Amino acid sequence: MSQSLRPYLQCVRSSLTAALCLNNFASQTSERHNVPEIEAQTSPEVLLNPLVVSRNENERVLIEPSVNSVRISIKIKQADEIENILGYDISFLITNFHTEEMLKHKLVDFIIQFMEEVDKEISEMKLFLNARARFVAESFLTPQYQFD
Amino acid sequence: MSIIQQHTSSSLSDAWRTINIDALDPDSSQNFDTTTLHPPLPEIGEAEVRQLNGQVRQLLRGGDAEGALRGCLESPVYNGADGAKDAHLQTVIEVLQSIKASDMTPMLQRIYKSEGGSELLDVLVKYLYKGMSVSASSSGPRTPSRASSSLTPQQTGFSQVTGRPGASNESTGAAMSVLLSWHEKVVDVAGLGCIGRCMSDWRKV
Repeated sequence: MSQSLRPYLQCVRSSLTAALCLNNFASQTSERHNVPEIEAQTSPEVLLNPLVVSRNENERVLIEPSVNSVRISIKIKQADEIENILGYDISFLITNFHTEEMLKHKLVDFIIQFMEEVDKEISEMKLFLNARARFVAESFLTPQYQFD
Repeated sequence: MSIIQQHTSSSLSDAWRTINIDALDPDSSQNFDTTTLHPPLPEIGEAEVRQLNGQVRQLLRGGDAEGALRGCLESPVYNGADGAKDAHLQTVIEVLQSIKASDMTPMLQRIYKSEGGSELLDVLVKYLYKGMSVSASSSGPRTPSRASSSLTPQQTGFSQVTGRPGASNESTGAAMSVLLSWHEKVVDVAGLGCIGRCMSDWRKV
């Protein structure tokens, strides 16, 4: 793992662990409904302060906690134009039903592992892309007709 | 004959369906008054912040980094103009950047053990998150404009004319890594509770 990736993931891990303290909470606006409050945004008092963890300006994580759900939005590697094509943004929504059914530390591990693997994958794809571009350029520029 | 005698253009369109009636109801949970969730905070002006920042810088120049850090954490700007808040954030980041990596943990432990030290570290965590979000959002609008300006002039070829995009990235990356390593050390010393308190505290820096 690269030197700057480790503290970034460590920070995401501790922030997520702290944010994933979720409780069952029924909707206050419509009876017999139970919706993720962070998506519904109907009760300001149950939304917590959003946290941003960033590795640099093109790679960051936004964690929006609320009483019964956490939304995690990840911006993956978009530092240059090739990464702009390969990278993407993704959001995860974790509700109290997930934390009740699954182990919390495994959920955190999943997100961290996802980020790690995507980072690796994009770096690999970038290398492959460069290698392929070099090969294509070489065969394109090779003279077809020899004048001797 | 229909009881609706007249159709107006507004009653025929569907626009009224999109009105959020909860927002108009004073008793709705959407209109909860969040100012009741924190005590009234004194407003701090920019002049006061600047004066304090001068004192902090003096301490820093005098070699008393711990005093400087304590000084700026003891008086967080909770209620004030954006200018005052940003100025204070800059000072905190400046102090954090001037402290060596090997001094971080012992200094944090000393602060944590002292009277009211855990509150100071909570404030520090707030500033760490703010520092990470501010540089992200300030560069936010710039990034797409760069991408569009570099892509539109030549639609067919590679657009390598613009400077290396990673160049500006390295400086922010270095600033972020300082904040990230501080974050790791604060959590080591004060535990996950400081993040939880930072999320749930309505006194925002």
